Amino acid sequence: MSAAVPLVRIESLVKQYTRDTQVLTVLDNLSFTVDDGDFVALMGPSGSGKTTLLNLIAGIDRPTSGRILVGDKEVSSMSEAALAKWRSANVGFIFQLYNLVPVLTAFENVELPLLLTNLSRARRRKQTELALSVVGLTDRMDHYPRQLSGGQEQRVAIARAIATDPKLLVADEPTGDLDAKSGEEILVLMERLNSEFKKTIVIVTHDPKAASRAHRLVHLDKGVLKEDVHAERGKAVGMAAAISASST
Amino acid sequence: MKFLPLIFKNAFRKKTRTLLTIGSIVLPLLVICLMGTFLKALEAPDPRASRGSFRLVVRHRVSIMSTLPTAFEERVRQLPGVEAVSDFSFFSGQYRDKSARNFFARAAVDSETLLKVFDDAEIVEGSARGWREDRTGCIVGKNLATKYGWKVGDRVVLVGDVFPTTLELTIRGVYYLENGTSATLFFDRRILDERFPSFKGSASTIWIKAKDAAASERLGPAIDAMFENSPYPTKTETENAFRNGMVSMLGNVKLLMTAIGAVIVLVILLIAANTMAMAARERVTEIAVFRTLGFQKSTILGLVLGESVLIAIASGVFGILLFVAAQPPLRRLLLSSPMSSLAATFHLYPEVLTLAFALAVGIGVLAGLVPALRSASRSIVDGLRQVA
Repeated sequence: MSAAVPLVRIESLVKQYTRDTQVLTVLDNLSFTVDDGDFVALMGPSGSGKTTLLNLIAGIDRPTSGRILVGDKEVSSMSEAALAKWRSANVGFIFQLYNLVPVLTAFENVELPLLLTNLSRARRRKQTELALSVVGLTDRMDHYPRQLSGGQEQRVAIARAIATDPKLLVADEPTGDLDAKSGEEILVLMERLNSEFKKTIVIVTHDPKAASRAHRLVHLDKGVLKEDVHAERGKAVGMAAAISASST
Repeated sequence: MKFLPLIFKNAFRKKTRTLLTIGSIVLPLLVICLMGTFLKALEAPDPRASRGSFRLVVRHRVSIMSTLPTAFEERVRQLPGVEAVSDFSFFSGQYRDKSARNFFARAAVDSETLLKVFDDAEIVEGSARGWREDRTGCIVGKNLATKYGWKVGDRVVLVGDVFPTTLELTIRGVYYLENGTSATLFFDRRILDERFPSFKGSASTIWIKAKDAAASERLGPAIDAMFENSPYPTKTETENAFRNGMVSMLGNVKLLMTAIGAVIVLVILLIAANTMAMAARERVTEIAVFRTLGFQKSTILGLVLGESVLIAIASGVFGILLFVAAQPPLRRLLLSSPMSSLAATFHLYPEVLTLAFALAVGIGVLAGLVPALRSASRSIVDGLRQVA
């Protein structure tokens, strides 16, 4: 068995917010790695710093101190412009509320990140169609978000996240706004992205079912790493349920 | 260019609001076009070439209300470059009633010489001879005749105020001036000379037809120099300048219009800025998502600003097209107004249209700038948080 290569390295990460005169420590001296090709679920109670950690890994927020390395890039020290460029090529973000642009069709929504590349129109079209085919929505590409179900909207959002073929996918409660059936479809799709397309996935979730799909459960509490469990599929369900129960 | 469809879709995301915003820019823009054209018409040289041009007007230096002796005419006539001279006295009073609707210019003139100075006037009905032979006759401009449905032989009754007398005039001719100022009633001054002996030998203005442009330029200073030390110092100016001066008697028209224009521009700016700010506020999360996807701050700035400018350009184009379409009826309206003399130069000025368009684009840029800067500089995390 070959040794896993870390894609994300977090070293002594601290994130503090200042509210009026109060300093609030959201992440406190956190260190861990995410291996290339891994599927990690961040769990923990509200306010434990899960979303903050996810935002920091995705490069949309900056740490107070510590380092975050994704691949060979230290994202925590990049300039804002360089970070934006890096995000467009290396990270796909999936939101709980899908966040599709309502005036754009499914095709146009997926094409959005590709507008930032130098690809020709034809090449963009091809790549967009490919992303939509991965999520099984080629027949809905001309539909507007309002014409899609919640599950379909989230699949379009996933297609948008993978359109530029990033190595890392981050998802914040991707099934949080979906019914059980649609949520299950999304999780199956994410599993497929991980196993078939070798995407490294980090999700934030409260849902033990969603977490059970992950290979690894990272339990945060009050900004510190409480538990970090590499799990077999079958065992993960029980662990996730236990973490979820302890979080509430 | 690849962002253009996105900008377009965002601009028309809320169609009613966008159309109302366009409307709120278009209508004031029309007013700006109108005022700009009006100002240009005031400043523009008389377009009439050769026959009708090179007219000068001599008046008392102090005021148009002070008269000049008609004896000056003979002295002016002797000057080289003078082709014809006639005098012209305004007759204020009323036709039918005192309403502005029934106001038009009336002047007591020398029927023998008037049409020599106005050699571009064409008698289209009746005859100049018929007028000259009838002391109570008059000639009226074609636009005036059309407005009141007058024809040769009709009686026109004018009640004077400065000259307290009632004139019963018979229309003996209808004249037409090619470039539009056919809205004055001219009658023979001898009626006033007879009824008001003290008026005899005086006139409000003396009109001169110069031989050419060079003579026109030379004559003004020469005439004013000639009468400088007389009890009636003169001010000689081109017909155009004189006409503008008459309009300016309403006040500092140019300043007034510029001030109104500035206020209008400010109002549009506030309306457009408010709309753009609203549009940007509604899309805080969406903009955060764009930035999460990797859109640079500068691209966001361009998208929001582009949206504002697109709406402004649409307004500018629509406003200008509307003004171009409205220009002929506006001109016709002007012809039947007391300022009919401006109709000759009231046409489409490319510089006015360009200025209006530039103003629209400028408003778009300024209105979109603050919301665009705010949208671009807001932190992504704060923007995403607004979802919850």
